[in-house]
Amino acid sequence: MTTRKIWHFDGNSAVRRTGEIVVDGESFHLNIDGILSERYNFADLVFRSERGNTRVYGLTGRRGWQIGFDAEVDPHVEVRLPKVEKFGRWIDRAGLIPAAIISVGLSAAALFVIVKSPDYLAPLVPLSWEKQLGDAMVGDFGGRFCNGPGGQEALDALVKRIEPAGTQLRVRIANINMVNAVALPGGTVIIFRGLLQEAKSPDELAGVIGHEIGHVRNRDVMQSLLRQAGLSLLLGGISGDAGGYANTLVSATYSREAEAKADAFSIDLMKRANVSPKDTAGFFARLAEGEKMLGKAAAALGYLSSHPLSQSREAVFRKSANPKAAYTASITPQQWRALIESCANDTDVKQDDGLFF
Amino acid sequence: MSISGEENTAFEFEGRWQDFIPIGITNALLTLVTLGFYRFWATTRERRYLWSKTRFIDDRLEWTGTGLELFIGFLIALVVFFVPIIALQFLIQALALQGQGLLAGLVGLGFYFVILYLTGLAIFRGLRYRLSRTSWHGIHGGSDDPGFRYGLSYFWKTIAGTLALGLLIPWAMTNLWSERWNRMSFGPHMFESGPEWQKLMKRYVLCYLAPIGGLILAAIAGFGSIGEASISGMAFAGVILFASFYIVLPLLALAYYAAFFREMIGTLSLSTLDFQFNARTKAWFMLFLGNLGLWLLALVPALIIITALGLTDGFANIQPGQNPMLENPVNFLLILIVIVIPLMLVGPFVRYRNWSFFIRHLEAGGEINLDALTQSPTRDLKQGEGLLDAFDMGAI
Repeated sequence: MTTRKIWHFDGNSAVRRTGEIVVDGESFHLNIDGILSERYNFADLVFRSERGNTRVYGLTGRRGWQIGFDAEVDPHVEVRLPKVEKFGRWIDRAGLIPAAIISVGLSAAALFVIVKSPDYLAPLVPLSWEKQLGDAMVGDFGGRFCNGPGGQEALDALVKRIEPAGTQLRVRIANINMVNAVALPGGTVIIFRGLLQEAKSPDELAGVIGHEIGHVRNRDVMQSLLRQAGLSLLLGGISGDAGGYANTLVSATYSREAEAKADAFSIDLMKRANVSPKDTAGFFARLAEGEKMLGKAAAALGYLSSHPLSQSREAVFRKSANPKAAYTASITPQQWRALIESCANDTDVKQDDGLFF
Repeated sequence: MSISGEENTAFEFEGRWQDFIPIGITNALLTLVTLGFYRFWATTRERRYLWSKTRFIDDRLEWTGTGLELFIGFLIALVVFFVPIIALQFLIQALALQGQGLLAGLVGLGFYFVILYLTGLAIFRGLRYRLSRTSWHGIHGGSDDPGFRYGLSYFWKTIAGTLALGLLIPWAMTNLWSERWNRMSFGPHMFESGPEWQKLMKRYVLCYLAPIGGLILAAIAGFGSIGEASISGMAFAGVILFASFYIVLPLLALAYYAAFFREMIGTLSLSTLDFQFNARTKAWFMLFLGNLGLWLLALVPALIIITALGLTDGFANIQPGQNPMLENPVNFLLILIVIVIPLMLVGPFVRYRNWSFFIRHLEAGGEINLDALTQSPTRDLKQGEGLLDAFDMGAI
């Protein structure tokens, strides 16, 4: 038995009325207690809910207006009613499984674009913008740049030696006790005091600096920033935490390719400058020892936390050494001493308290 | 129409969790494949079900909100609040790195104040939105107050309540509750709320004293045994401390919360209707225990499967240059399936249980004159609970 019987709330009062729907082409009236209502359009009906046999419809622009059918609806009425909504209009139209498959495709495409596009976009960002961004972000590390006599000059000489034609680059020493070096936005490379103390020769340092210069020249820093921004924008869609974690995991650092390219860049610089890569290999060998001792926990510490495993890198640097080459020292022992003492000899520099990395 | 006679209770929840399962599963699936964008529509489907299974006297409630308006609310919250908040965080970090510690601290404090204000605003607007989308007999609720003043009130009362060694927290909570409900209406009637915070103080003081009492007892046990058997004495002290912080305190807090809710809803009325809430501490305890059980049900098998299959092995070296997700795509997907999907399913069922609990213990007495219950004169809202959704809070 199908029905044209309805119950009705007019949206103005809470009194429930019962009656019948009277179809008139694409519009209808409600017949309640023998009184015919105003004319409504089927097109203005919106599906509200369905529970058991009961189906409820509202009317666009009339809050609270409702009609409900408590049994199977007469087919003449049924064809004119809006479709039952289950998952939302678009998904209902496509069907659940096709919609899910399309969504997977779209999500994958969006992730791909956000992860890959910075490779092409980063070089388009003017260096001057990047530099301003870098200055705004870190400034002078709160007065922690070391300026001991001759220290910065020695560092500049070292940088000049391995990249004679380099421009728009600043390499500074920060008075922070961590074995690490980072490339920041805007061509600033920071060597932490801890790394300086760990290094046994200027050539060791040259390889590490060359690597960071590689990140600068390849625009890796900007790429990483863009990628992070894009991901947080996209994954912001996922409520709170899940997005945040995934985001950090994907974008925390440079890709393996970028790191390998930066190493290759460093090796190339040293080759041209006639500086031996062996010492840098030695530096990585010592780090690799440390990694072995510390095990997996090492991943959370200093240089190791932001660079690939040292063992493979040691091999790359060692193999690049040319046994026939007549390498020369990158800077003089006097310069080296001034460089490693740069923080100790600087009476003005701030101590590394209160800065957490 | 008066409440009594045929039905024993004015409110009744007639949902079946078996009917809710398909909704929960399909919501989780669609939310996952859309990177979360479906969640606004998921919320709407969930509420549509819960509301439609809730009977008040002779008719069920109707949720009239849409996923689209929740999505628009989210976008607005994103632009108006999140972008400035992220910019501010960026500024604080930059100031700290540049050695402007004091300035960074001040901006940080300002940041905290802004968040506190926005939290109050979000609670108010969330409640307003939910009432405006709840329809009974075609009549809905709402408020024309945008909630800015409530935000300010929330801001200073929360600070004042906490500053007085936390002793004024019941006063702040009670006061804020009635402040927001007194601004809400249903149909032509305003809600009226007049709870007394003094009634809650006994239980609150117990909560307050539990950790202190625990510390004193532990100190007595610890020091009293110096000399002989001091190790067992210390162990005993440890047990007392642990029990007072992790067992006694949460239970007392629950007891306070139960009393709080009974007082708040018990003093709420709408025209000739008076509301009651009859959940006692034990009922709340069972609710939380059940929810905890649901979480464990999802988490424990997931962890067992992951450990058994050794799925995390490839992720031990989380470090740059190695992208753990791209290098272990199969394991990554498996972990996603084993952990994320059950966890995504727990959320809806916890909300289902909470709603069912709320309705089961909600009571109303008095009379309703249907002829006098006319449509709410409040303006129609154009967007959903963006902020509230963003802060992930409940409205009641």
